[in-house]
Amino acid sequence: MDIFDNLLLGLAVALQPINIVYLLIGTMVGMFVGIIPGFGPSAGLAILLPVTFGMEPTGAVMMLAAIYYGSMYGGTITSILLNTPGESATVASTFDGYPLAQQGRAGPALVMQAVASFIGGTIGVILITLLAPLFAQVARSFGPPEFFMLIMMGLLMLVVMIGENWRLGVISTLIGFALGTVGVDLETGSQRFTFGSAELIEGIDFIPIAIGLFGLGELYYSFYEGLHAKGSGGIIQYQKEKRFWPDLRDWIDTRFAMLRGSLLGFVIGVLPGAGATIASLMAYSVEKAASKTPERFGKGMMAGLAGPEAANNAASSGAMVPLLTLGIPGSGSTAVLLAAFLLWGLQPGPLLMAQNPEFAWGLIASMYLGNVALLAINIFAIPLFVLMIRLPYRILAPGVILICTIGTYAVHGSIIEVWLMFIAGLVGFLMKLYGFSPAATVLALVLGPMAEETLRQTLTISRGSAMIFIERGVSLTILLVMVAIVLAAAALRLSRTRARAAGSAPAVGS
Amino acid sequence: MRRRTLVLSVLALASGLAVGPAFAQSYPNERLNVTIAFGPGGGNDILSRTLVQILEKHKLYPKDIAVTNRAGGSGAVGWGYVFNQKGNPYHISTTSGSFVTTPLQANTPWKPTSFTPVALLATDDLVLLVNGKSGYKDIKDFIEKARTKPPSIGGMGAVNVDFIVPKVLSEKANFKFEYVSFNKMGELNTALLSNSLDAAMGNPAEILGLVASGDMKALAYSGKKTPDSLKGVPTLQEAGYDVGISMPRGLILPPDAPKAAQEWWIATMKKVVATPEWKEYITKNNLTENIIYGDEFNGFLDRTSNGFATVLRASGAIK
Repeated sequence: MDIFDNLLLGLAVALQPINIVYLLIGTMVGMFVGIIPGFGPSAGLAILLPVTFGMEPTGAVMMLAAIYYGSMYGGTITSILLNTPGESATVASTFDGYPLAQQGRAGPALVMQAVASFIGGTIGVILITLLAPLFAQVARSFGPPEFFMLIMMGLLMLVVMIGENWRLGVISTLIGFALGTVGVDLETGSQRFTFGSAELIEGIDFIPIAIGLFGLGELYYSFYEGLHAKGSGGIIQYQKEKRFWPDLRDWIDTRFAMLRGSLLGFVIGVLPGAGATIASLMAYSVEKAASKTPERFGKGMMAGLAGPEAANNAASSGAMVPLLTLGIPGSGSTAVLLAAFLLWGLQPGPLLMAQNPEFAWGLIASMYLGNVALLAINIFAIPLFVLMIRLPYRILAPGVILICTIGTYAVHGSIIEVWLMFIAGLVGFLMKLYGFSPAATVLALVLGPMAEETLRQTLTISRGSAMIFIERGVSLTILLVMVAIVLAAAALRLSRTRARAAGSAPAVGS
Repeated sequence: MRRRTLVLSVLALASGLAVGPAFAQSYPNERLNVTIAFGPGGGNDILSRTLVQILEKHKLYPKDIAVTNRAGGSGAVGWGYVFNQKGNPYHISTTSGSFVTTPLQANTPWKPTSFTPVALLATDDLVLLVNGKSGYKDIKDFIEKARTKPPSIGGMGAVNVDFIVPKVLSEKANFKFEYVSFNKMGELNTALLSNSLDAAMGNPAEILGLVASGDMKALAYSGKKTPDSLKGVPTLQEAGYDVGISMPRGLILPPDAPKAAQEWWIATMKKVVATPEWKEYITKNNLTENIIYGDEFNGFLDRTSNGFATVLRASGAIK
């Protein structure tokens, strides 16, 4: 009953009027920074952090945490409407979200993403409430060998989404890996492809590339098709007769997708590192594998949107586990939260929850409320977004370019990154024209450097022996799971070809 | 009216320093621009904002103060901006480890010693950590075992004090080790907790909680004096190995700033470091107080920069 007491204590703190105000401010800012491509939770947190200097820590953390998970709701909106993921965790949401919008189902897709986000976020908080100490043990068993295996799993999922034209998919992936090599070599400190530029020392960031390849690439493509000359409507069709709410079939199709996505997202989100990105990718692959109609994925399947969406929100809840139970940040955003803990004079670490129960449980309780608030805000705001896409395309398009430029510049205040974005836009247009996979490029850019880092760390530790992957229990387990997935996929394909061959055999005979 | 009295009192102070009367009487009479070369939440940001708070609370600066975060290129953007304000006494910035390492890595037009030095205020130092369940008893035990079996030691980045401190220690204590470089603090910490690494270099503020819970054990501290929160942990110097490398937390003006402005700031910083807010900042952030002024600070920067360059060149990290 301890947990129940703690939660009640937390609710009592979270329900204080002033804290509710902070929470609502946080959710709105989170939504807002999530919607603007480029502006992510880290930017939102950074803006509001100085404001919290003199604040009481509990209210302040509720507000900052709400920015973090709120941005996961907002981030998907541009993925669906403009094919522009605001961060790596929402790349997977473009795969089916954007086709849905193109088919005139933007309304139902947006409602579905809000509901999936809500379910993912809420299941995540429930799991924090009940099982945080258990998952803390999972987080602390992950060293470089385990992370490497996990990233390999993420890359395996990349194979699933490369799709039919695997040659172009592989080339797209390699472009991403190549971009990922720019910057300081983490191990030796020597520079690779920076040409002496200080701005390239930290490597090529994901954001300008993603906004360019997806958002601008899509825009240029629609110019190429002459959409701007066609008056109203645009890349996205909006049909009045298609209803605003998802229909019954959508709900039935996605009920397990949300559940699977939430559980998967939380478990992977607990692990510091690539959490939400790998989680949403895996959720997408799992849905595609579990579906009876995998060939319809990428063409507007509701489950292909709901799974990753539930996963990235559950992952953002999961990321709170190592932060609260170990004082270890799992991402850029939680690192800002950790800095905030220190600023407020709190001592992050395993004793935080015991020493500051009101703070920790106030935060956890506020996350239940925050998710409800975000769901409500989303449902109210969706008609506005739908209105926006009904703007004539020649008005909408320049606005999108402007927002993308400002968003990219705002991240690091770097003009080089703005140029990178425009170049990536051109490349993205060509990729779309010739059937390459921008998603593979972007994900390879995110996962490639992580794979390189963790592999080199592992081999430095083991002094060059690959046996370390088998000697460590957790790493061996992930390896076995991967082998099982590959074998199962191969067996499934084999049995399908056989069934098809058997089915068509009589026809050939007659 | 109130502002005018304030200006007068500051002027009285400045002219008391017997500097060029024309400039001294008018300085400072413009808005102060504080450039933070990193984003909010980092060590530089906290130091700068703490300084501004103290200047405002104790009314040490008579005009407005504008604070801007100019992040990018590991500090190259922000400090590059300050560098370009040559001779302008109304810009200040704070320093950190990157102030020394970034110019070694990239083609920056400036070096740490290019600026007008005001003061070194404190140093950021590191803790040598091992897993709480490991068999290492203390730093002596660690070094003895390291001589027979080279340990793996993790830290943040390759061109960083995290690598240089154990490197210098290993040379003085005569052992070998494998350095494992990390990009994110979280991954470094879990690598130690998951028994992947034998040891890690950690930032005191961020690992205190894990040390208090017994998950990690602190063997030694690289600064001049161990912070109270890590009482009982010896410094490397006390253990017999004087490493003498620290990350400078100090204050600079643009290059060629007027002598009077530099002296005004030295006098003002002497007041700042006497305030209770400053003492609180030092304890809360687990810094080592280490105050030196003016040209002596430049000497410190020069020695640190040369020390870094020697170690990094030997390891091949820089040319």
